[in-house]
Amino acid sequence: MKQKAFIILALALLLALILFMVKDLFYNSPEKKTNPYAYDLRTLKKGDTTQTAYIETRQVHTRLPEIHGLATGINDWIYLAGDNGVEIYDQAGILKNRFDITGNAGCVAVDKHGNIWLGMEDHIEIRNASGKQIKTWKSFGEESFISSIAVTDSFAFIADAGRKVVYRCDLSGNMINRIGEKDPVRKIPGFIIPSPYFDLAIAPDRSLWVVNPGRYELEKYSYDGSFLTSWGEPGIGIGRFCGCCNPSHFTLLRDGSFITSEKGIERIKIYSAEGKFSAVVAFPSSFEEGTRGLDLATDSRERILALDPVKKQVRIFIRKKDQKSN
Amino acid sequence: MVFAVQRFPKPEFETGYLQPGTLLPSPRAEILAAMDVAILVLALSVISWIVLKKRSRKGVFWMSLFSLIYFGFYREGCVCSIGSIQNITLALFDHTFILPLTVIAFFIIPLIFTLFFGRTFCAGVCPFGALQDLVAFRPQKLGSRLNAVLGMVPYIYLGLAILYAATGTDFIICRYDPFVGIFRFNASFGMFVFAGILLISGIFIARPYCRFLCPYGVLLNWVSRFSRRHITITPAECIQCRLCEDSCPYDAIDIPVTTKDPENRKIRVKKLIWISLLIPFLTFAGGWTGSRLHITLAGVNSKVRLAEEILTPAAGQGQPESLGLTAYKSSGKAAEEVYSEASEILDRFYNGGWILGGFIGLVFGWVIAERMLSKWHTDYIPNKGACYSCARCVDFCPVKTDLSEIKHEKT
Amino acid sequence: MPTRREFLNTLVRGSILAGLGLLSGALIFRKGKERECGFDFNCKNCPRSNDCLLPRPLESRQMVWQLDPSRCIQCGRCATDCVLTPSAVKCVHVYAMCGYCDLCGGYFKPGTKVLDTAAENQLCPTNAIKRKFVEDPFFEYTIDEPLCIGCGKCVKGCSAFGNGSLQLQVRHDRCVNCNQCSIARNCPSGAFSRVPASNPTLLRGFDQKQTTTNIKQ
Repeated sequence: MKQKAFIILALALLLALILFMVKDLFYNSPEKKTNPYAYDLRTLKKGDTTQTAYIETRQVHTRLPEIHGLATGINDWIYLAGDNGVEIYDQAGILKNRFDITGNAGCVAVDKHGNIWLGMEDHIEIRNASGKQIKTWKSFGEESFISSIAVTDSFAFIADAGRKVVYRCDLSGNMINRIGEKDPVRKIPGFIIPSPYFDLAIAPDRSLWVVNPGRYELEKYSYDGSFLTSWGEPGIGIGRFCGCCNPSHFTLLRDGSFITSEKGIERIKIYSAEGKFSAVVAFPSSFEEGTRGLDLATDSRERILALDPVKKQVRIFIRKKDQKSN
Repeated sequence: MVFAVQRFPKPEFETGYLQPGTLLPSPRAEILAAMDVAILVLALSVISWIVLKKRSRKGVFWMSLFSLIYFGFYREGCVCSIGSIQNITLALFDHTFILPLTVIAFFIIPLIFTLFFGRTFCAGVCPFGALQDLVAFRPQKLGSRLNAVLGMVPYIYLGLAILYAATGTDFIICRYDPFVGIFRFNASFGMFVFAGILLISGIFIARPYCRFLCPYGVLLNWVSRFSRRHITITPAECIQCRLCEDSCPYDAIDIPVTTKDPENRKIRVKKLIWISLLIPFLTFAGGWTGSRLHITLAGVNSKVRLAEEILTPAAGQGQPESLGLTAYKSSGKAAEEVYSEASEILDRFYNGGWILGGFIGLVFGWVIAERMLSKWHTDYIPNKGACYSCARCVDFCPVKTDLSEIKHEKT
Repeated sequence: MPTRREFLNTLVRGSILAGLGLLSGALIFRKGKERECGFDFNCKNCPRSNDCLLPRPLESRQMVWQLDPSRCIQCGRCATDCVLTPSAVKCVHVYAMCGYCDLCGGYFKPGTKVLDTAAENQLCPTNAIKRKFVEDPFFEYTIDEPLCIGCGKCVKGCSAFGNGSLQLQVRHDRCVNCNQCSIARNCPSGAFSRVPASNPTLLRGFDQKQTTTNIKQ
């Protein structure tokens, strides 16, 4: 009798095991399990889209496989540069020209003659609007990586992310001076560039502004390299620049206010000329997660153009009150 | 993702800070894998010698203890002969799957030894067998019918394991490997419970995994039936003393069937005809059932599940989307690609369902046939297929070993 | 009777043996499909040009599990699904990619105001990342591996905000190299694969030969 009880007990256990295996194999989907260590970035990126001061009105789709640079020029034409190619669109987004280049353009600028300045990793190439090469400067050095160019009537300012310095050159490529190298005597903090984004721009008042992404600041320099002033604070709050190393790009409006773009928390914001936060142009919800390299430009109508390298578009934003008056 | 990795020159440190290197510990040395194979061959040789020449239960016990410690607790299980079935299968179906030589060795070598000496691998080399042998304190007889019914499970398990390995779905033998957690002293609570329950039932039903689950045991069983030599209960002539009758914890001793040809010829022929009709019918019926079930079978495959989830986005309402779906979205893969992959896998499961079902039906028919046609034999002999060569029965035989020596020298 | 039976047995035995021999021979010497060699079997002076067909016949070709950080979505399964507790998957810091930022997306919880090492500021659930001041404004981050559970929270923070120098990897001094990795089974993005034991890492942007990393890749 006792033996039988043992057998029944053992058999029951064995059958229970087999049933468990069948159930686990066929009726258990591991996908349903949630992540106990979830780090939800979406909550950080929430934003009320009705709170933006700008609205996206149109997109220009490009056919370049990898785009890195955006600029605007005469007649508000749009210039795009990237791996092995350049595209030119008019202000309505109609393709005017496209041509191939050898190598990868990391940034682009357009001078008052309509010539296109391309930052080709370690050197500068200048082409005319039809793509004909006008001039090629010699390399700045093996480690150089040109990440931004600004051209005025008499100078070209070149941001070199690889060497963490800004060059002031004359228009034919002769270097005049280097700006922003760490110098405790002149109280220059030095640029900290942990990722390949290092932007500069010339303000309407002709002053030179450079991002110091590792310090989450925009810094103002005189042409001879003196550190003048800076603004910007790290943080994820809407008025701050999130880590690591932001803003990735910026540009200026006619009144001297700044438009900045960030990676990590993808957003475009406006700051006053004094560096006070004023409004949001686009919240992270407007971008694919992980979008980086939102290069910015403005045109004569004060539209904001943002390069979205993931969606392969130039996205055009206009001020909401302008839209109403239109 | 979208971005090529862009590396940067490290910050220019001025305080002489040296950037540390990233430490990369290396895996277990390859020479140790070669040693495993050498020890496998050595252990198989020793156990075969103990079983067939020394006929020593004590020797088998110590050998199995060694294997439990080396292949179990020291080597921590993987890869084992049982699991290697799946690697071999996957390698046959997927030409990109790279099969290490040790895996081939662990699959083939025990089979070859079994072909010559019986299932000595089970007796003293397999750590699973050794562990279960240790806890078989109160083994009970189950009776031949129960043994036959439960004995079907390993065939189904083997069939499923091959199906899932061939479709690249999963290695289910490893998924439900009960003892590897014990060998590592580290497993989820569920797996410890699984092992615990198996060991508790193993007190009364000796070697429950080996007899009623182990898929490799199926292969060894087939091969062992044709083994060149095999352990015998008695070293000489069986004297029909019946002392060994209850000695086998695994119900693997065939009791003599003394009445020769108990039925007349007519009934026997009738039976044979019936069997020859039954087996094809069961094979076909099994195959048909299997093919009907192919959707359920394929539901285990994660690619099929993902395709289903994309097709029926039920998760949208209230439920959070599954991680698989999140991963799919961030991969930038086209839905069509997922669908075509999934439908290809479904096709394979349809064919696999036919084969699996047919195989199970065939085995079912075979078991029935075996029970219907009893074979005449006069002595107490170990069933060559089911016997694990544990040598327990040897101690019960009153015929002394020295007789065998004499007999052996004569032949 | 016994002789005929014996003969049949021998016949079957012979065919099983031949079958096993054929199977193992085919498995050892068969040629794999032609494809790009992503592996390093230490083929000296790689003969790829001579139409190398993987796998090569008589090498031990041991394989180990590894995860590809570029496919990882930081789902947390590495922490929960490994047969070992804590997991054999750990966060590995590729210093060569690190920006040494003060505000580290992998170290700090979002919204941390004061950037110090207070436990409540740390993103890591086990506080396994050590932050050390190097010089203004640089900080070094080191993984305390015995504490790390491989959950990937810091990896997510680092790849979202930083350079992605924190990456999950199977640590081979801990991994018991299961025949079927239980994390691989449940990995939603299929980031796990078997890689040759002779080259067992899949770190992103990491080059052992190159000490000074290059901006242009």
